[in-house]
Amino acid sequence: MSPVIDNAAREHVYDLTSDTATQPTDEMFDLMKTASRGDDVFTADDDSNDLEAFMANMLGQEAALFCTSGTQSNQIGLRTLLNQPPHSVLCDARAHIFVHECGGLSYHSQASVTPVMPKKGLYLTAEDVEANINKDTLTGAVTRVVALENTLNGTIMPIEEIRRIRAVCDKHGLYLHLDGARLWNASAATGVSMSEYGKLFDSISVCLSKGAGAPIGSIIASTKDRIRHARHLRKLMGGGWRQAGFLAKIARHCIETAVPTMPETHKLATRLANHLQSLGIRLVLPCHTNMLFIDTAPTGLTVEDFAVELKKKNIKITATPGSTISRVVLHYQVTPEVIEQFMDVATSVVKLHGKPVNTTSMETDVKEDNGNSTIEPLTAAYPSGKN
Amino acid sequence: MLRSTSHNLKNGIAYCSMVLNRRCLATVTPSKLGFYDMTSDTATEVTDDMFDIMRSASRKDDVFGNDPSVNELEHYVAKLFGHEASLFCASGTMTNQLGLRALLTQPPHSVLCDAQSHINLYECGGLAYHSQASVTAVTATNGVYLTADDVDANRVLEDVHNASTKVIALENTLNGAIMPMEEMQRIHTLARNENIKLHLDGARIWNASQATGIPLADYGQLFDTVSVCVSKGIGAPIGSLIIGSKEMIRKARHLRKLMGGGWRQAGLLAKIAQHCIDTVIPTMPETHRLTKKLATGLEGSGIRILLPVDTNMIFIDTAPLPMQELADALQKKRNILISAEDNGTITRLVLHHQIDESAVEGFVQVASDLIKEKGISFPTTPSRPKVDVSKAYPSIQH
Repeated sequence: MSPVIDNAAREHVYDLTSDTATQPTDEMFDLMKTASRGDDVFTADDDSNDLEAFMANMLGQEAALFCTSGTQSNQIGLRTLLNQPPHSVLCDARAHIFVHECGGLSYHSQASVTPVMPKKGLYLTAEDVEANINKDTLTGAVTRVVALENTLNGTIMPIEEIRRIRAVCDKHGLYLHLDGARLWNASAATGVSMSEYGKLFDSISVCLSKGAGAPIGSIIASTKDRIRHARHLRKLMGGGWRQAGFLAKIARHCIETAVPTMPETHKLATRLANHLQSLGIRLVLPCHTNMLFIDTAPTGLTVEDFAVELKKKNIKITATPGSTISRVVLHYQVTPEVIEQFMDVATSVVKLHGKPVNTTSMETDVKEDNGNSTIEPLTAAYPSGKN
Repeated sequence: MLRSTSHNLKNGIAYCSMVLNRRCLATVTPSKLGFYDMTSDTATEVTDDMFDIMRSASRKDDVFGNDPSVNELEHYVAKLFGHEASLFCASGTMTNQLGLRALLTQPPHSVLCDAQSHINLYECGGLAYHSQASVTAVTATNGVYLTADDVDANRVLEDVHNASTKVIALENTLNGAIMPMEEMQRIHTLARNENIKLHLDGARIWNASQATGIPLADYGQLFDTVSVCVSKGIGAPIGSLIIGSKEMIRKARHLRKLMGGGWRQAGLLAKIAQHCIDTVIPTMPETHRLTKKLATGLEGSGIRILLPVDTNMIFIDTAPLPMQELADALQKKRNILISAEDNGTITRLVLHHQIDESAVEGFVQVASDLIKEKGISFPTTPSRPKVDVSKAYPSIQH
């Protein structure tokens, strides 16, 4: 088991399995002392209220709610848009709301899901959406909400495409929800402001506990009425926590200190990606922000071969036994020195154990085959608690 | 005898003033201002030293069950209650609903519980939502706690028309009153004979245990699942635990994620919860003593006490004195906060370890002075009348 960080000089493990690994720092606990101590069940906590107002404003929405997790903020946001079955949500087949939220859409909203694989490229297009809208009021579960995710697997959906999808939704009378758990990264990478993205959506979920660095929490933002309903839903879902002010305060602090460092994190990710590619490792998806999906197969090695050596340097990556793919995620607590270490280890592993590879024709691929995208299944790349 | 209550949330106008009170006091630590919030034991204040304790916690990801501080707390609490495992969650609503959901396998099914219980009244219809369960809400014949006879008389049998009783859910303490162990054992026997599961909403089981001297494990072993709160009288800022078998808790962890309760670096919350359990439970007998002292003092002035004062709660009726007048006087003169509905005369007073003797004495004094000043004469009622205490709770109006 990995050692614990504390203020004693114990060994620190750099966890590159996810940006949820961002940890509270010692100094944050002093800041927590200055937080308000009201009861958030009664909306009586100043810092929670302030955070919500801050985020609503940032996202160009009327109101927001501080929730325990991204799953909760997504499911609550969607629930406020899904009023009465039969109804369904249209989303990317790889979307977190569909794949990683324990069937929440069916559970919380009794909604069916239309999971759509982008026909071309990395993200859903207006054409993908329009081709899959369900309007069958006799035997179907009509599409009520289109849900996008940005970034998805670290890749960016261009704002122009979001605008086009918004137009499709307006044309067909559909709501548009954003799983913006990592919207910070998209905004940092493109220069498009959070509010410019935000205004295009009826509800937006933004995570605080990933790259933004807070220990706990996520935000759902929407209209005043929906957020009022959302608060009630949050209690129903057991998210009615009491003295949450210190969590809100620290989240705000993290947004202000960690988010501005994202461009640096993205540079490091690109640096790492380029280096690994030069060793023959393939990128399964382009590295747009803070994530790499690597495939070690061209080197003749599995991810475990790398993971074992990285572990000796206190660097942890996801390594599903027998698999050659892995997702590597950077965040602001992963330093340039750690990335140098990673690159050195990778170089020596390939040198010592790998088979020779022709690197000249390497490129990231999303293959197109008769107009159908063949985006690879990535299950083994994700941390699962077992890898 | 209590009338069965259909919960009416339309009377919380006093909520506004209460919330305003809370808002202006919420940002200040009690040590600086000396205010006493008796609206609920959820009002237990966070103190500065808690953050130093939090700093020493581990900082791993609880979604993967990797955090040592969280795992320690869960193991510790499970053992306290004589069970295999437990799961640390954001709230009592979550842990109750998780425990019940884990016991309810497939509709049609129903849960039998006290009509006054939290799971029936204050969890936003969670039983229907999370488990598609019907609810058999039973009014206690004795007005205080369900008996085995109440349960037997009201349980729903297997029949083609029915959603049969699959879980009996008890709450101890309920409205601060204790359910006697003998009665719990009788209900346990009945449930086992009929192959019905048992859940305990033990948000305040700590108080029951301290008042009766019965070990937590003795309570725990009667139930398939137990929900216990750390953010009420125990005094932690956030949290509750669901306790049960390893298998049950494994299932609960998955359900917790479904409910959006999969939080990340929760070690800091677990560490402070652990600390509070260890340091605050021993103070409960004193809190109970002060509660009884307050009740006696108020009764001495003529105010009626509506339910047995077994632990840390008092339900009072000040009629004909409007509660709002008492609330105003208490706030102005002693910085004591109580909930008061417009035109209401019933409220619930809740004590906890941050309420001291001087606050209690002050309360009694203020009440007595006000009654004298207003020349109030109270009706004499030898026995507890039928009253609707649902209005006594702090609530939210939209």
